[in-house]
Amino acid sequence: MRRFLASISLFILCAAAVVLADDKLSSANDHGDPVLKAMLSELKRSQENLRLGQLQRPYYIDYQVTELQDYIEGATLGALREDQTNIGRLVRVVVRIGDYKQDSYFGEGLGTLEVVPIDNNEMALRHQLWLATDKAYKAALSGLTEKQAALKNVVVEHDDIADFSQEKPIDAVGDLAQLGADLGAWKQSLRATSDYFRADPALEASDALLHFRILNRYYVNTEGTVTRNGKAMYSYSFSGSAQANDGTYIERSHGYSVANPAELPKPEEIQKDAKKLVHSFVELRDAPLVEDDYRGPVLFSGDAATAMFENLIVRNVLGIRPELGNPARTSGDFATYYKSRVLPDFFSVVDNPHADKIQGVTLLGNYDVDDEGVAAKPVTLIEKGVLVNYLLGRSPIRDFDHSNGHGRTALAAAPRPQISNLIFSAANAVSFDELKKKLIQMCRDQGRPYGYYVETTAPVHVAPRLLWRVYVSDGHMELVRGAFFNQLDTRVLRNNIVAAGNDAYVYNRTDPSPSSIVAPSLLFDELEIQRANRTREKLPQYSAPALSGAGN
Amino acid sequence: MSASRLFLFGMCLAAFALVGVAAAEQSSSPDPVLLQTMQHELERAMSSLSKADPAPYFISYSAIEQSGMVLVASNGAIVANVGRHDRVADISVRVGDRGLDNTHGENHMNEIISASLPLDDRPDAIARVLWLNTDRMYKKAAQTYVEVKTNSKVRAEEEDSSADFSDEKPQVYAGQAGPTPKFDQREWEDRVRRYSLIFAKYPEIDNSSVMLVIDSPTRYFVSSEGTRIVTSRPLIRVLALGSTRSEDGMDLARSETFDASSFDKLASDDVMTAKIEKIADDLRKLKNAPAVEPYSGPALLSGRAAAVFFHEVVGHRLEGQRQRGENEGQTFTKRLNQPVLPSFLSVEDDPTLSTLGGIELSGKYEFDEEGQKSRKADLIENGVLKQFLLSRMPVKGFPHSNGHGRAQEGAMPVGRQGNLIVRSSKSVPDSDLRQKLIEEIKKQNKAYGLYFEDIAGGFTLTLRNMPQAFQIMPLMVWKVFPDGRPDELVRGVDIIGTPLAALNRIILTGQKQDVFNGECGAESGSVPVSAAAPAMLFSEIEVQKVAQGHERPPVLPPPGFDKVERAAESAKQEAH
Repeated sequence: MRRFLASISLFILCAAAVVLADDKLSSANDHGDPVLKAMLSELKRSQENLRLGQLQRPYYIDYQVTELQDYIEGATLGALREDQTNIGRLVRVVVRIGDYKQDSYFGEGLGTLEVVPIDNNEMALRHQLWLATDKAYKAALSGLTEKQAALKNVVVEHDDIADFSQEKPIDAVGDLAQLGADLGAWKQSLRATSDYFRADPALEASDALLHFRILNRYYVNTEGTVTRNGKAMYSYSFSGSAQANDGTYIERSHGYSVANPAELPKPEEIQKDAKKLVHSFVELRDAPLVEDDYRGPVLFSGDAATAMFENLIVRNVLGIRPELGNPARTSGDFATYYKSRVLPDFFSVVDNPHADKIQGVTLLGNYDVDDEGVAAKPVTLIEKGVLVNYLLGRSPIRDFDHSNGHGRTALAAAPRPQISNLIFSAANAVSFDELKKKLIQMCRDQGRPYGYYVETTAPVHVAPRLLWRVYVSDGHMELVRGAFFNQLDTRVLRNNIVAAGNDAYVYNRTDPSPSSIVAPSLLFDELEIQRANRTREKLPQYSAPALSGAGN
Repeated sequence: MSASRLFLFGMCLAAFALVGVAAAEQSSSPDPVLLQTMQHELERAMSSLSKADPAPYFISYSAIEQSGMVLVASNGAIVANVGRHDRVADISVRVGDRGLDNTHGENHMNEIISASLPLDDRPDAIARVLWLNTDRMYKKAAQTYVEVKTNSKVRAEEEDSSADFSDEKPQVYAGQAGPTPKFDQREWEDRVRRYSLIFAKYPEIDNSSVMLVIDSPTRYFVSSEGTRIVTSRPLIRVLALGSTRSEDGMDLARSETFDASSFDKLASDDVMTAKIEKIADDLRKLKNAPAVEPYSGPALLSGRAAAVFFHEVVGHRLEGQRQRGENEGQTFTKRLNQPVLPSFLSVEDDPTLSTLGGIELSGKYEFDEEGQKSRKADLIENGVLKQFLLSRMPVKGFPHSNGHGRAQEGAMPVGRQGNLIVRSSKSVPDSDLRQKLIEEIKKQNKAYGLYFEDIAGGFTLTLRNMPQAFQIMPLMVWKVFPDGRPDELVRGVDIIGTPLAALNRIILTGQKQDVFNGECGAESGSVPVSAAAPAMLFSEIEVQKVAQGHERPPVLPPPGFDKVERAAESAKQEAH
C-alpha cells in the first residue's frame, strides 16, 4: 500500500514537472489563453511523437475547438413552452498523412470529433485532445489506404491538382463573444408576441421563438497558425399555421437575425409585424386560389430574390471538388460555366467577408479568418453576368490552387467552401416603384389583365407565400394563394431577369454558417406560375377549445 | 457495440443531445391547473368525437413535467452542464373495441403522439395543444383501425387471440407535484470534478467520466375511464464510467451507479470515492490481465452479478408482450406452470417496495404509465413459472394488467420490470460460498473455478436513449484455485450457450441480497429499475474469449505521463 501511495505522489510530481516545462515552450503564441495553451501543448507533443510502429507520421495536424452556447426559448398564446440552454465544447481534429500533393484526407480520414471540457482545465482539455488525435491519426491511416484503393479503380484526368493547398500561417487571436441580451426580458417578449395570435382563434398553432447563439472558436495547426474568434447571432421569429376551408394549409412566419443585440427589433416593431402577420391569415383564408397557369412578367421583392438566389446560386459558386475520378471542376451546376454568362450582363456578385454593414444592418457573414485559419478575402464571383471565380477553402480545384478564405465549418462537420456575405448588385438599377410600373407596362403591352408580385416565399423550397396579382387597370393588388413556380432554374436567371431595383434586402442566415445574402428586387419578363397540387387534409374532426381574448 | 463506444455515445448524449435549461423556473406547489385542463379537454374530446365514425372508445393524456439537470465531468473538469424543464404530453386514442383496436399487433408501438405543452399554466394555451394533437392522433388511429380490420380478415388466425386492451378499474390518486431536490450546485460541481479526477491518476484509462443526474418528474394522468393520477418520484444518480483498451485491442469498461430519492439518502462521499477508486483500479488490472481461455466448470456469481444476470436473462424474457409478439423468441410462453429454475429459487417483481435491506430501490413506483396501481407479481414460484410482467395488453391466460405497463415519455407502455427480486430457500452463509466453490472445483477435478465479481448488462452501462439488447458482458472475472494460490483476474469472458441452460445448474446461493440499481432500456424506452439477488454457485458455466475489436490502444501515453511511465518503471524496479 505504501509503495502504491509513493508511486501516486511520484505521478503527481512528474505531472507537475511536465506542465511547467510545457509552460515555457508554448507561452510564445497562446496569448495567455488556457484553451489555446492546451491545444498548442498537445499539438506539439503529437507532432513530435505520434507514430504507430513503422507507419507514416502525420505531415499536418489541426485542432478546431468550437464552444457553443445555445439559448432557445419559445412561447405559444402567451405561455412559455420551450426553455433550453446548451453549452458545450467540441474539438475537431484532422491528421493528414502523405504530403500536400496527395494525402489521407479521404473517407475516414476527414477528421474526428470529441467532446472537450467547458472548464479551462489544461490537463483535462489535453486528455480529450490526446484521445481525438489518436483516433484521427488511425483514421488517417485507414483513409490513406482507402484512397489508394479507390485510385486504382478510377482514371484521374487532372492529376496536377494538389490535395491540400499551402497557405501562409497566421496568428490572429480575436475577442471571444458572450451573450449580450437579457434572456428574462426576451422571454417576456416572446410571451407578449405569442399573445397577439389570440386575435385569430382560427389559427391551429402559433409560436414565438428565439434562438441566441454564441460561437467561440479556437484553431491551431502544425504550420504555426493560431486563431481565435467569437461570433454572436440573435434570432427572433414568430409563425402560425391555419387550415383554409378547402383543407389546404396556410403557413406564415416572420423573423429577425442580427449580429448585435442592439439591432434586435423594438417591442413596437415586433408588435406591428406580428399583428400584420396575424392579420394576413384572414386575408389569405379569403384569398382566391390560383386556378389558371400563367407565363408572363413577374416582380420579386428583395426578400423573395434572396430566397431564390440562396436556392439557385449559392451552392453553384462553391468550389467543392467532385468525387475522386470525376473530371469536372466543381460539384455544382456551374462546374462547366467558368468564364460563361450565368446572369444578365448588368449583374455582378461579390462575396465579401469584410463587409460589415449594408444600409445600417450588420451582416452576419463578416469575418477576418476562415475556419481553416486562412485570411478572408473578398471575391468577385460574377462580373457583368460572367462567372469568374469560385469560393475556395484549402481543397484546390482545377485552375485554383489556393484558398480565398472561404473554408468554413458548420457546427461540427468538415470545413468546406461556403458563402460569407454574398452581395448581388445591378447596374442601371431603378426604384421599386419604377419596377412595378414596368411590370404593369409589360403586362399591358401583352394584353394581360394582371401581372404577379411575389412578396415572400417559403423557406427551403422557394414557393410563394404572399403572392399578389397586380392589375393593369388601376395598379391595385389582390392577394392569391395555392400557386408554385414552374421551372424556376438557373436558365431563367440567365435569360429572364430584365431589371433590378436599387434596394438591397439583407437576409441574415445562421445556418450552415453565419452568412448573409443581399439582393435587390427583380423583374422577370417571363416566369411560370401554376396552380399547386394542394394537399387537402381533412379539417379538424372537432372544434378548437375556446380562447380568451388577447392581453395578459 | 463495444463498451467504450457505448460510453462515448453516452458522453456525446449528455453533452449535446439532451435539451436543457440553465435556470429552471420551477413551480414548487402542486399543479392542479394542468390536471384540470387535461381532464376538461379530455372530456370535450371524448364527447365531441363520440359522433365520429369510427368513434374512440378510450383516450388518455399522460403529461410529464420534468425539471432536472445533468452535470458531467472528466479528468477533473466539467464537460457538460445541462438543465432541462419541459412538459411533454403523450396522447393515446383507441378506436374499435377492446377486442380489436388500432393498437393491434405491430401497430402497438406507433399509436401514440407526443406534444410539448406550455410550461406556464395558461389553460387555453395548454388546451389548444392537446386539442390539435388529439385530433391528429384520432385521425391516425381511425386510419390504422381500418387497416387492422382489413388485415384481420385476410390473415390466418393468430396463435394468441387475446384482446388488445384489458378492462380495468379506474384509479384516482392525488400525489404531490415533486419539487426539484435542493442542492448546492457549486459544491456538487466540485464533487464531480473531484470524483472524475480519480481516473486521471491512471495512465491506463482512456475515457472516463462522472455524472450527476437529477431528475424529478411529476406525472399527470387522465383517461376517459375516469382515472386521474398525480405522482412524482425524484431520482438522484451519480454514474461513474471508465474504459480502456488492452494491447490486443479488447475494449474494457467499468461503471458504478449510485441512486437515491434524495440527496441525504445518497451514498456518502467516502463510499463513492472508494468505489470509484476501485473501478479505476479494476481498469488498470484488467488492461494487464490475461485473456480468458476456453473453460467449462464451476462458477460463483456475486449477488450483484447474479442480479444483473437475472434481470437480463429472466426478467426481459418474462415481459408480457414478448409472449405474443410474432417476432419474439417466446422462450417462456409455453412453459407456464412448468419448472424453469431449480425448485429452491423464486422470482418476483415488486415495484411497491421502496427499500430492500436498507438500500433504496430505483424501480419503485405507485402507478404504472397506464394508470394501474403497482403491485407485486410472483413470476416464478419454487422454480415454476406462474405469470408474466403485464401491461394492459393481455396475454393468453392473463386478461388483466398486473401494474407493470411502463414506458419512457413518448412511448407506448409495455410489460417491464420494476424491482426484480430473486429469493432462495437453499442458501449458506456468504462467508462459506468460497469454500463451497473450492469443494465443487475439487469434486469435478478442475484446475480452477471462476468467480464472477461483476457482470454488465444493458442496464449497468445504460443511459437514457441508449439502444441495447439483453446482452450480458462479464466484466470482472477471477480464476479461483483450489490450492490456495491468490485469485487471478482474467478479461474478455464470454458465456457460451443459452444463459437459461446455465440457470438450471445453480446448486445453492448465499444469504445476503445484493441490490443493483440502474436504468433499463427496451422498446418502450428507458425506465429506472432495480434487481436484487443473492450470490449463486453454478455447477457449470462454459466460457470462451469474447470476439474482440482490432483497434490498438492509444499510441502516445496520456498527457502528463510521458516521463512518468519511465520514472514509475524505474521506481518499480527499485522497489523490487
